[in-house]
Amino acid sequence: MTTTDIASAPVGGGYDRLLARRERRFASALLAPAFVALTATTTFPLLYLVWTSAHRVDLAMPFTNGYVGLENYAVLLADDRFWSSLLVSLVYTGSTVVLQVVIGLALALLVMDMKRGQGWFRLIAILPVVLSPAVVGMIWRTFMLAPEFGIIDFLAINAGLGSQNWLGEPKLAMLSVIAIHTWQWTPFAFMVLLASLASLPDDIYEAARLDRASAWQRFYRITLPLLRPAIVMVIIMRTMVALTAFAAIFTVTAGGPGTATEILNLYAYRKSFTELSFGYGSALAVALLIVTVLISGVLFALRRAK
Amino acid sequence: MTGKRLRIIAVMAVSLIFLLAWAFPILWSVLNSLKTDQDVLAYPPKLLFAPTLDAYRDVLFGSSSILPNLVSSMIISVGTTIITMVMAVPAAYALARLRFRGKKAAGFYVLVTQMLPPVGIIIPYFMILRNIGWIDTYQGIILIYLSFSLPFAIWLLVSYFEDIPFEMEEAAYLDGASRMKTLWRIIIPQVRGGIAVTVVFVFLNAWNEFLFAVVLSGNTVRPVTVAMFNFVSVEQTLWTKLAAVSVLAMLPVIILGVVAQKHIVKGLTVGAVKGGGRR
Repeated sequence: MTTTDIASAPVGGGYDRLLARRERRFASALLAPAFVALTATTTFPLLYLVWTSAHRVDLAMPFTNGYVGLENYAVLLADDRFWSSLLVSLVYTGSTVVLQVVIGLALALLVMDMKRGQGWFRLIAILPVVLSPAVVGMIWRTFMLAPEFGIIDFLAINAGLGSQNWLGEPKLAMLSVIAIHTWQWTPFAFMVLLASLASLPDDIYEAARLDRASAWQRFYRITLPLLRPAIVMVIIMRTMVALTAFAAIFTVTAGGPGTATEILNLYAYRKSFTELSFGYGSALAVALLIVTVLISGVLFALRRAK
Repeated sequence: MTGKRLRIIAVMAVSLIFLLAWAFPILWSVLNSLKTDQDVLAYPPKLLFAPTLDAYRDVLFGSSSILPNLVSSMIISVGTTIITMVMAVPAAYALARLRFRGKKAAGFYVLVTQMLPPVGIIIPYFMILRNIGWIDTYQGIILIYLSFSLPFAIWLLVSYFEDIPFEMEEAAYLDGASRMKTLWRIIIPQVRGGIAVTVVFVFLNAWNEFLFAVVLSGNTVRPVTVAMFNFVSVEQTLWTKLAAVSVLAMLPVIILGVVAQKHIVKGLTVGAVKGGGRR
């Protein structure tokens, strides 16, 4: 870091100390507004969330409200819908992240070798990732997947599969929301991996070619290890996002049919804002936070491991 | 020779399939928005038809106009962007260039705040804003948007501040310029490009947000991502109008995305590269 050469300079005389104190004061003044806002919009709601999770806060039946200790958490552990939503979250996150990385990497390797047409990929790949997941969900729900109207259904009919109730049948609905998330975010993995592929040194490959290494050996022995940091970074970022995905599933299936596509995030939302039981909804959100922290802990350990 | 040729054809075919897969849903929405109510329902779907702007006229100036919602989205996004930048630029400068105790911890705190699931923020905030009567208000939505826009903007800007050579500030100090003056006159002009990129991404994220918006919006404040639900119901979907609204909601972010094309990877991965490295 560039600060080190100044930071390590001897701070001896009173004048230097004065300067250092002034710098500290200036830094606090610059940081204060952002930190006050951040604390108010993230740390404070977190504390309030934990507090609420120890209460019964039911807007439909306010007379029952009050402190309940860990009761919400006890209910949660015995709640089948919680466990099923957790499972849906893990399946959704796991499958979308694997699909994004595998397709994104394969495509990046393919495009990297292209002499012409790279620009098209770089341009088109931007489109899905800048869109609102809510709008993406809406487009897929209607123009792509609506029975006997959407293009996917049109293709399915012509392929002899017949018209399907893409969002009304539990297994197909899950496949659909996974496909939509993968459609929107694979370009992200693709762009990041393409950028890091482009930054790899050429001379290693030259040496490998002279050694008559096969294409597969070059990929497995050279490209993959060099890309590892970028791949792990993509996995971490996409996992965090998939765990808290909301808009696309909400617009496409709203968690349905039944609870077939209800990820934990959506369950916490429905419990709070549809059933108006904020205490239990808060406990679910805290559970989601714990799951997020656990998973990111594992992923960061993976990143540090050699 | 033929093997090589086959390979080229295969690569081209795969490329075309992926380019089409990514572009098609967007293109198809554009096409449907230009159809009449009869053409949109045609089976098999029509690729060739006489285009009309009727759907746009209806959704912009008809009885259920979404013009107020586009204005709503714009106010929220511009407001969020301005407030975020005013707070993030000084904070990022301090984190990137100044020496003070707890600097690492401060940077880490900014990073960790992003990990909180949005649903965990909106549940308490809904109850707080309800108590102070800020549901369905611009200040309520913009305040809570800071929870994601600030950490993002701070980290993106830090990466730009760190690129400026240190000598520039030292020269200014030696000339007797104050710290504030140096920041304002020397440093900020150096990171103009970085500030512009940050503005683009903060605006884009605010424009696209949905969870906070759907909870906090009402009759006064209702961004377009929420208002588009007016065009789909259990009984019927207003296909061409929904397509027109989708296109109007996509247009600004696609323009911004294409303009900021070169910076998009940096904008998407900010924090992750640096954050993990600083332990």
